Amino acid sequence: MATPAQLGLMDAASPVMEEMIYFHDHVMLVLILITCLIFYSMLVLISSKYIYRFLTDGHVIETVWTVIPAIILVVVALPSLKLLYLTDELDNPQLTIKSVGHQWYWSYEYTDYYDIEFDSYMLPLGDLSKGDARLLEVDNRVVLPVDTSVRVLVTAADVIHSWTVPSLGLKMDAVPGRLNQLALQCSRVGTFYGQCSEICGANHSFMPIVIEAVPVEVFEGWCDMMLDEESLGSLNMKR
Amino acid sequence: MADVPAGRLPKPQMRGLLISHLKRHGAIALVFSMGVTLAYKLAVADPRKRHYEEFYKNYDVKREFEAMKEAGIFNCARPSWEQAEED
Repeated sequence: MATPAQLGLMDAASPVMEEMIYFHDHVMLVLILITCLIFYSMLVLISSKYIYRFLTDGHVIETVWTVIPAIILVVVALPSLKLLYLTDELDNPQLTIKSVGHQWYWSYEYTDYYDIEFDSYMLPLGDLSKGDARLLEVDNRVVLPVDTSVRVLVTAADVIHSWTVPSLGLKMDAVPGRLNQLALQCSRVGTFYGQCSEICGANHSFMPIVIEAVPVEVFEGWCDMMLDEESLGSLNMKR
Repeated sequence: MADVPAGRLPKPQMRGLLISHLKRHGAIALVFSMGVTLAYKLAVADPRKRHYEEFYKNYDVKREFEAMKEAGIFNCARPSWEQAEED
């Protein structure tokens, strides 16, 4: 999750987010070039005492300052479009999960191999343990295997929500009556946090998302645990 | 009159002062901005890429998972000392 007073992007936990960070650095290079050029030009023009009152046009300079910005735009647009299409690529997903937005919680369904469904509510302040993040922890987390291509189908049951996990470079609107598809791949183990990103009512700020990326064997053990009859009642699960 | 020096001062630039001023400072601006851009690339962008490469070069999923598990990060896999306490 973000640390206090953090200005930059979060550390990437997926290949797509890594590419987004590199693209951000690329665009920053262009912005720094333009800013320094303009800043120096302003300094020089303000401090200069030269005036040429018959200066009306300059065909060469006008051509230059039309063509160069066009080239700069192409330099920015080409990697941007490449990244845009990369985010849409779904490489033979090994797992599909569904994420359904409700007012004001998320519910998840793992129906590929088993029939696992559960709700994920934010933990209120009084239920937090020492070290937990306020407004970010949930009772039931999304557990996924690491280094596995996962398809997430996002929808909503009432109003529009948005399923977001910044460190994985994921954001997709959850629209009622529509299934949106996300490609997810965690490159490293850990917990990754996100929050609903589309205004959806009074508790819009209080329906976070938490993903636990774990090794495949641990994921399988978690699936077995979820299917255990004894835990059904405590997890608000449906079968 | 005998003590007037024989040499002459170079003729100063009489016309086109603004244009020559702009050309000179335009070149300086270009060099300055490209220098700062290169500095950002060498100091920020390239080290960040290298950092990610080095992180994943010897990344051991099981080792990292065990360390995080013992720190109590995960809900689906509790640390061994917590299970020992329960026992």
